[in-house]
Amino acid sequence: MKPLAGIRVADFTVHAAGPFCTHMLSQLGAEVIKIETALRPDIFRKSHAVYGRQGPATFDQVSSNKLSVRLNLKHPDGVALARKLVSISDVAAESFRAGVMGRLGLGYDDLRAVRNDIIMVSVSSSGQSGPDSHFAGYAPLFGAWGGLGHLSGHPDGPPVEMRHVMDHSVGMNAALATVAALHNRRRTGQGCHVDVSAREVASSLVGDALTAASAGIEVERAGNADLRRAPCGLYPTSQPDRWLSIAVSSDDEWRTLATIIGRPELGRDRRYATEMQRHANRRDLDPAIESWSVGQSGDAACERLQKAGVAAHLSWAASDIVTDPHLRARGAILDVTETDGTVRAAVGTPARFSTYDSPGITSGTPELGGDEDYVYGDLLGLDRRKIAGLIEDRAIY
Amino acid sequence: MTSLLPLSGIRVVERASGVAASQAGRLMRLMGAEVIMTEPPAGSPLRREPPLLPGGGSALFTFLSVGKRSVICEPPDDASFDALLEGADILIDDTPRAERAALGMEPERIARNYPDLVFLSVLPFGAFGPKADWKAEELNLIHAGGEGYLLPNGLSADLYPDRPPLKIAGHFAQMQGGVAAALAGLSALWTNRGQFVDASVQDANVAVGAFAVQRFGDGSVEHRSTRSFKFGGVIECRDGYVELLTLETRQWQGLLELMGADDWASDPELSDEVGRSARGKEINAFIRNWAKDWLVEDLVAAAQEKGVPMARYNEPRHILTGKHELARAIFHEVETESGPVKVQSLPFRFEPDSLPVGASVAAPGADQSLIAGRTANRATA
Repeated sequence: MKPLAGIRVADFTVHAAGPFCTHMLSQLGAEVIKIETALRPDIFRKSHAVYGRQGPATFDQVSSNKLSVRLNLKHPDGVALARKLVSISDVAAESFRAGVMGRLGLGYDDLRAVRNDIIMVSVSSSGQSGPDSHFAGYAPLFGAWGGLGHLSGHPDGPPVEMRHVMDHSVGMNAALATVAALHNRRRTGQGCHVDVSAREVASSLVGDALTAASAGIEVERAGNADLRRAPCGLYPTSQPDRWLSIAVSSDDEWRTLATIIGRPELGRDRRYATEMQRHANRRDLDPAIESWSVGQSGDAACERLQKAGVAAHLSWAASDIVTDPHLRARGAILDVTETDGTVRAAVGTPARFSTYDSPGITSGTPELGGDEDYVYGDLLGLDRRKIAGLIEDRAIY
Repeated sequence: MTSLLPLSGIRVVERASGVAASQAGRLMRLMGAEVIMTEPPAGSPLRREPPLLPGGGSALFTFLSVGKRSVICEPPDDASFDALLEGADILIDDTPRAERAALGMEPERIARNYPDLVFLSVLPFGAFGPKADWKAEELNLIHAGGEGYLLPNGLSADLYPDRPPLKIAGHFAQMQGGVAAALAGLSALWTNRGQFVDASVQDANVAVGAFAVQRFGDGSVEHRSTRSFKFGGVIECRDGYVELLTLETRQWQGLLELMGADDWASDPELSDEVGRSARGKEINAFIRNWAKDWLVEDLVAAAQEKGVPMARYNEPRHILTGKHELARAIFHEVETESGPVKVQSLPFRFEPDSLPVGASVAAPGADQSLIAGRTANRATA
């Protein structure tokens, strides 16, 4: 049995960050009921333009495993039904702008009134309080606000935009906070309102740099350089755009690397004997590694370095990831069969458990409203006539 | 100050020499668990990891370890390590797999002796699979997870098309590994069944990089040179950079009003996102030229007024003293040898107040009495 089996989540989240949170909970075994409306479907469900191309984004990935019901939250009976759904759920998750749930009649106090120990999880760009709490935002803005964007980039170049990993980091943090809140409920019998701030997730990822800056240390963009390790960089191989990352973290590794690149004398050179010296003289070392790496097949060079105990990995594209036997063996990448029979690669649970070994995803993308018989009928006990009436009245729509 | 510490009463023993395992412990500590670092006699190598504070202590270690307890103990020669495990709910460990048996840290022995314990293994590539023994540092991990290949994008990629890919600042990949590991560890603990949890930093990064995996399934391989919105992005102003991203037509219309670009407002080619993207180069040239004389603060304020999503690329000083950050009290003061420094709380909270971070960083072995007490308890039991 998966660890979160028996936990039910009423999922009001949309876009990327919030749905990734409930997606992780779902992969860990929670029953997640995605609440949508045909009036305004999750824009990620619709084909939409990303990077100038019309096409799906991550909806399939983050909706896998979930159940789908339609619910019109602009209709009073829709709101009443939403509350009823929350009353039989452990967690209610949402990712609207701060205050929207309250205006819909679904704020924390409203939800607590129908389920005293409900755990409400709110994912927003800047948190539920503070002068910027009304800001809408997307991943690149979270990264900009949080300093992650400013600190990423070439030392002589501009900041770098964060992409979906930023959204999904927020979702992963939110999933963690949700499970912690469940532990709290088990111990105290109390629910709570979890407030997840995306920009704070961004800044927490460079928390050490912010701590250093608070003590007057100047922290700036460093490109691919490490503050301690050298050599540390990306080196070209014989294949175009096939980069080999190497990071040396000990004197032994350095001597091994020097031998592998055919320059054992560098390994004995006193100018590079210690980590500090290698770091200070790192620009001298890169050309020697490059002149070796550029003649190597990337995969073979990487294998050879790893076998000798030097930390190395190729810069992997999605095509490498989805076919990797290691990730497949772990279930970190798996195949999902959609209802139309299409098979696609997807991301699985980011850890393995000795108590169970079933795949993280067992069903594909749900049809909009595809699970209403189960949710409204079996779980909430509404009879067919009542459901039909709500549909006709567009409360279920 | 918040009184809701969701992991109160949970005891964690942490053996961490890397950022990911230490981050998992940090997350649990700040949520109220008691986290006991077990360090080698020379102290955790993280204590020496840059960036360093003016007094020589590590800012990274301060961030990761504030509020944790510290004992010096070296398995397998030190029975006190086992004594610590007796009262623990979770063991976090990043000992390389090949070294575990010699230290008595192999999962089978731990499971046999401590059947109720969650053994949370945090390794670069996990403890299972053909690459379980591979080594990796931050740079390797961000490339093993797929995001490294896709960076930089936008302005940086335009400016330096021939440079190699670029990592995200700091320890992004390992931090992800720590969050995913903590999630997995606490999920395992939820079951009330002791078990081995095999967390992998690579898996965590592949997970947060799910977008590229789905795109592949849909028939395209993402690449840094094209993975960018076709206009907006990083925009240079007179005194810094802003991020601009308009995804919805009303935001685009707000931008046109802001720039006074009336002729584009009536251009049918620009009525949807695909049409606008097709002319992205032209639009961006205009935006970049228009924005360069603005001061960041003025431009962001004007954009917000028009409903145009825009943010300043904040530098650390902006964040440490930002009105919003101060209002939410996300930074807490911590005493160090270098004097008081600021440490960010967790990016989520369970009450209106942020979670406390703890007053100081434990010196190596500061809580050695924990072992003495535990060993004595066992001897008398």
